[in-house]
Amino acid sequence: MSGISFGQYYPARSLLHRLDPRIKIILTLLYIICSFMCKNIISYALLLFSAIILVIIGRVPVRIILKGLKGVLFILLFTAVLNIFWTTGDSLLWQWKFISIYAEGLYAALFIMIRISVLIIGTGMLLTYTTTPIALTNAIEDLLSPLKKLHVPVHSFAMMMTIALRFIPTLSEECERIMTAQKARGADFSSGGLIQRAKALIPVLIPLFVSAFNRAGDLATAMECRCYNGGEGRTRMNVRHLRFVDFIPLIVIIAFGAGLITLNILGIGYTA
Amino acid sequence: MSDVRIEDLSYFHAKGTPYEIKALDEIALHIREGKITGIIGHTGSGKSTLVQMFNGILKPHSGRVLLAGEDIWKKPKDIRKVRFKVGLVMQYPEYQLFEETVYKDIAFGPKNMGLKDDEIDACVKEAAEFSDLSEELFDKSPFDLSGGQKRRVAIAGIIAMRPDILVLDEPAAGLDPRGRTAIFQNIVDYQKKSGRTVVIVSHSMEDMAKYCDDLVVMSEGKILLCGECREVFSHAEILESVGLDVPQATKLLLALKSRGFDVDCGALTVDEALEQIKKLYHN
Repeated sequence: MSGISFGQYYPARSLLHRLDPRIKIILTLLYIICSFMCKNIISYALLLFSAIILVIIGRVPVRIILKGLKGVLFILLFTAVLNIFWTTGDSLLWQWKFISIYAEGLYAALFIMIRISVLIIGTGMLLTYTTTPIALTNAIEDLLSPLKKLHVPVHSFAMMMTIALRFIPTLSEECERIMTAQKARGADFSSGGLIQRAKALIPVLIPLFVSAFNRAGDLATAMECRCYNGGEGRTRMNVRHLRFVDFIPLIVIIAFGAGLITLNILGIGYTA
Repeated sequence: MSDVRIEDLSYFHAKGTPYEIKALDEIALHIREGKITGIIGHTGSGKSTLVQMFNGILKPHSGRVLLAGEDIWKKPKDIRKVRFKVGLVMQYPEYQLFEETVYKDIAFGPKNMGLKDDEIDACVKEAAEFSDLSEELFDKSPFDLSGGQKRRVAIAGIIAMRPDILVLDEPAAGLDPRGRTAIFQNIVDYQKKSGRTVVIVSHSMEDMAKYCDDLVVMSEGKILLCGECREVFSHAEILESVGLDVPQATKLLLALKSRGFDVDCGALTVDEALEQIKKLYHN
């Protein structure tokens, strides 16, 4: 339970940590788009290289990155296997009864694995590892603030997200406590079939929900006691101002995207 | 025989990570059968961790836990059976209530033991009586009860398993003085009626002095003092050196003694202290 490390903030001093979170969100979106523009082996290599560069700039230990990837290892292998066995093409490499493997399948598997890993490393490095959750929600609120004109409750959404993030560790601790208490009463979470195990969770989930609702009620009261009445007229303690240097990464990523498009047009290397 | 013996037990939190902390440091301990033993210490002294060793919720990294002379981790697959023998009431146990009715919630433990319906019924009724819960409450939802009643239902849920050893972690935390006394009195009555072993964890010296036979004082994952109550409280200076208090009655007598009055500092409760002072006065 305490092993939830995927996408958690890693405190360090680096350029990525200092970059304005609003810029980081835009960068992440552009980076995702870039990763889907890759079509040939050279562009995938460049993509992988860029992810490595991000890790180096962000000063997050490789051990933590690998731990994050471990969580999706199954998905990675599953998609890879699917691609290897189910992709057909012209160049047959190996055949045995009904199983046949084509070179296209191997490439497709390699590409999809690179893409998924890079997406996870990239979004992790640009956002979750290097930005505190609070800074992130503030940035989302800022970026979505034009929608306020359309009467979208942007501030409320941001506040909801902040609170939800704040309570993840609290609830996971609580969950562990309740599980221990029920184990002491002989509850068995680790044996039996799927249905039995799901049923065994009822004694954990009900108290967890009850206490979550109670907590929510208490929090609402505490917030009202401090005169919270929504986002109207609310100011921030730390206001971030964008400077010219903050835009440099945007220029870099646009150049990167342009490079990828050029590679696609030129059609150099193996194309999937 | 249902005593607990702990031999050279050590336990680390977050073992194998950079955040590793030694929570229990080569603990050796004997909990006497048929007695009330109090475990006392500051927050973070390892007392809650220690009691989670008794029923195998946590597995020691070294050392053994002997229940009635037998190592509880000899057959790790049978650890659930140990949990029925050593009933552990966790801190704030009312957070574990989940069933629709009080009756069903108390019956959760016995049901997990695989008892028959009529046996379960007997266990539930017996436990409710021990915990001072009237049968009218049986059909109520546990969530409609008051805080003190919820706590009683949760404790009854453990007593219903008829454990040889009942372990309670801070059973009176967060209750008002009347609720505190009532819960402790229930526990003492339960012990007297059933003759079973009871372990109470607390940081209130006053309560421990009043209700326990034996006392274990913990500090920083080690056992500082252990023995019968009087014996432990006679080492006031050691207790104070780790920031723990002696009961106020004992404190008063110690102060008198330091001024040259001839009093027995083993007195723990206000009544006993009063006797001592009366004696002084008459002399």
